[in-house]
Amino acid sequence: MTVTALQTGIHPAVDGGLLLEVTNVSIQTDSIVSITFADPSGGPLPSYVPGSHLVVQYGTGVNAYSLTGSGSAPSEYAISVLQVEDGGGGSVAMHRLSVGDRVQVSRPRSAFAPVSTATHHLLVAAGIGITPILSHARAAAERGIPASVIYVHRRGAGAHVADASELLSRGLTELIECTDRGSFQQVLTEKLTTQELGTHLYVCGPDPFMNTVLDQAREHGWSQARLHSEAFGAAELDEGEPFTVNLVRSGIRLDVPAGVSLLETLEKAGKSIPNMCRKGICGECSLSVLRGTPQHRDLYLSDQEKAANTTMMCCVSRSDDPELELDL
Amino acid sequence: MSITIIDKDADTAVLPERIRRFPFPFSADSYRYSANVEPATKTVTTEAGEWGARLLDIDEHYLQELAERDGVLTRDPSRMQVLPHMRPAVWDTISTLLSAMAEEYPDTMSFHREGNACRWRNALQNLDVEFTIGDDSSLPMGPLRFLGSQIQDDIILLDVREDTMWLDAGLVTFAADWSFGFDVGMNFLEIHGPVPRLKEEQIITRAHQFLLRLQPGEQYRRTNWTMTIDRRLDTSTETYPEWGPDRGTIAADPALPDRLHLRVEVQHLIRLPHSGAMLFLVRTHLLPLSDIARVPAWREKFGRVLAELPEDMADYKGISRFRKAASDWLLAG
Amino acid sequence: MRSASMPPAAGTGLEPGFRGVICASFGSTGDTAEQHSGGRPRHDLRFESANPETLSDLRSALGRSHVGVRLVLAGPQSDIRAAAAAAAECGLLEEEVILLSDGMGPSVIYCPHCRITTTVRAASPEVACQGCATTLAITDHFSRRIGAYLGYSAHAEEAS
Repeated sequence: MTVTALQTGIHPAVDGGLLLEVTNVSIQTDSIVSITFADPSGGPLPSYVPGSHLVVQYGTGVNAYSLTGSGSAPSEYAISVLQVEDGGGGSVAMHRLSVGDRVQVSRPRSAFAPVSTATHHLLVAAGIGITPILSHARAAAERGIPASVIYVHRRGAGAHVADASELLSRGLTELIECTDRGSFQQVLTEKLTTQELGTHLYVCGPDPFMNTVLDQAREHGWSQARLHSEAFGAAELDEGEPFTVNLVRSGIRLDVPAGVSLLETLEKAGKSIPNMCRKGICGECSLSVLRGTPQHRDLYLSDQEKAANTTMMCCVSRSDDPELELDL
Repeated sequence: MSITIIDKDADTAVLPERIRRFPFPFSADSYRYSANVEPATKTVTTEAGEWGARLLDIDEHYLQELAERDGVLTRDPSRMQVLPHMRPAVWDTISTLLSAMAEEYPDTMSFHREGNACRWRNALQNLDVEFTIGDDSSLPMGPLRFLGSQIQDDIILLDVREDTMWLDAGLVTFAADWSFGFDVGMNFLEIHGPVPRLKEEQIITRAHQFLLRLQPGEQYRRTNWTMTIDRRLDTSTETYPEWGPDRGTIAADPALPDRLHLRVEVQHLIRLPHSGAMLFLVRTHLLPLSDIARVPAWREKFGRVLAELPEDMADYKGISRFRKAASDWLLAG
Repeated sequence: MRSASMPPAAGTGLEPGFRGVICASFGSTGDTAEQHSGGRPRHDLRFESANPETLSDLRSALGRSHVGVRLVLAGPQSDIRAAAAAAAECGLLEEEVILLSDGMGPSVIYCPHCRITTTVRAASPEVACQGCATTLAITDHFSRRIGAYLGYSAHAEEAS
């Protein structure tokens, strides 16, 4: 896809994604805005798994935001963003967006999916954590699967309260709002001890909140496979540190920038490296390492082979040392 | 890959399409299991032509294979099963594949979706149907059987949960020596239990992790192969008593070169966008040895692969009783 | 949903909302389940074998219990595997069920040619299918859903 990017360059995390236009911005609360994106030519957008997030580029950085729709054949993607003054700047940039702006985004990514065999979803949200929970609630209502939402927010400061309430008439089983710690604790204990066997629990909110909910669930005998929490998959956005490779046989040194793979760097330099999957599984792009410690990110090498540090898969693996010497 | 250009041009010009577009799977003189995955829809050139540009491959056998599938399903309904929680994944498969097929074959097919209302036209079958995503009764035979009447691929759906994948739905009429009906409900590692060497070589664990990491919308493919006597697509365990005896007699049959086929499966691995289920498509291609022999490089490679293949792998593929005869014929060529 | 369509508990004596350990033993297995309740409230079920009636009792016990419950199944392979399949249908997850096989007893063989299962009492590489009389080779490919090992026609490739 050819993209007329407003930004200086496309961040690797959104490369191969979509260029979308802001079609609506609406104030949810004092500190939360909802932003809607659509295809500039009005085309349909890819469906997504409930609980998915979108990686959005701002300037040279990226941030992940949960999509709030059910994910079924959407014509728009909607996110809600809490302004974080001391954050990385993403939320401030999002709050500055206005209708007509174009933004480079990833395809929706799934890391907080509903379990298809569940006969009841217990959905627990705190604050801005309501966003993926709303997506789950909408999808459950569409599919006719019972779902209960427990939503903790400050009095008068809950985003999407109206959206969640509206779902009650469209199949959502119950919505319990809690505005103080005591009432939430009571509701949580009651819910954790009275669920029929097909129930799964999903939680999203600040880390300490999620940990509290998950710990209590475990104490009440919930097995790990029933517990689902949104972690925004930090690893998948990890573009790695820049490093240098010294190609001993060719007598060339190449810089591998952050966010660019060693394989791509070698290809750009005119080296033809056999490769197939470019995902670290097929083993085709194996290279011999003469010096330095590779940072192994592949699924191909055994633990033993990885520990030997003599071979690396250049499509995904990088370097722990500033420089690697390769037999190339 | 090295190609002897001089031979190629002269020969391939006269080769029929079934040979030119055959996905010949060997690039060397030996074969071992590997996680040989690559991105889907990448064109692969072979010594005889090329294949792989499309996700859904429609060829000269289209109508005949669909009729055969229909016959198998009528005789044995257990070849299609959908555990109740997989219904959304089936609809996800339909909207994904019909729109992909319409894009790949715009002259004969079209797919339009407005909300959940869909219209599908397929001129190859003089078909024009309207249906509603999510409404099983909107397609006369039900959604999965309908899809199975539009594409030549077998369809397998794996649900992703509990850190693994579960074979919870599918329509498999052209199985290569396995029983879909028996495997329904198994997880990924259980399904692959019978395959020799996989455990030792960690291929399945790697493939498992790779598949679990695939994001919705991503599409990969791999090939697998075995050998089949006659142009028989249904070599399921269910019908083994019908086709098994041929394995015992083919080595001595003078018609071996025409009866014995290289069976190549082009398998697509697609993480579905809305359900997140793993869609596994298996498209089976059969080419008799007599056709393989028309491409000198194929004749030689396949002959050597068969001669070199370790005994346990040959046993698992069910070719032990005749692979030497096949190899001898090919290499004598 | 599922719990609403359950028949009332058939004399399992389990209080509604139970979240302890249900120990179900089959056949003459001793009290092997004891060491697996870990001091949590425990409810014992004793069955002669896994059959539609006893499995329905098990389902009804699970239908009355809540998330947090664990299930220990003790007895012959074929019984506890059938019970595990029933538990999975009730929404119990793999890590919530402990299987204690007494290592003996019959195994069940599935014939893919006629889709009938045959119970084998003695260890043997082959068995005659009760459905179609085909001599089946027995594999170790096991389906937890069907609760059986896969068989296949043992001599199909041999000249008749």
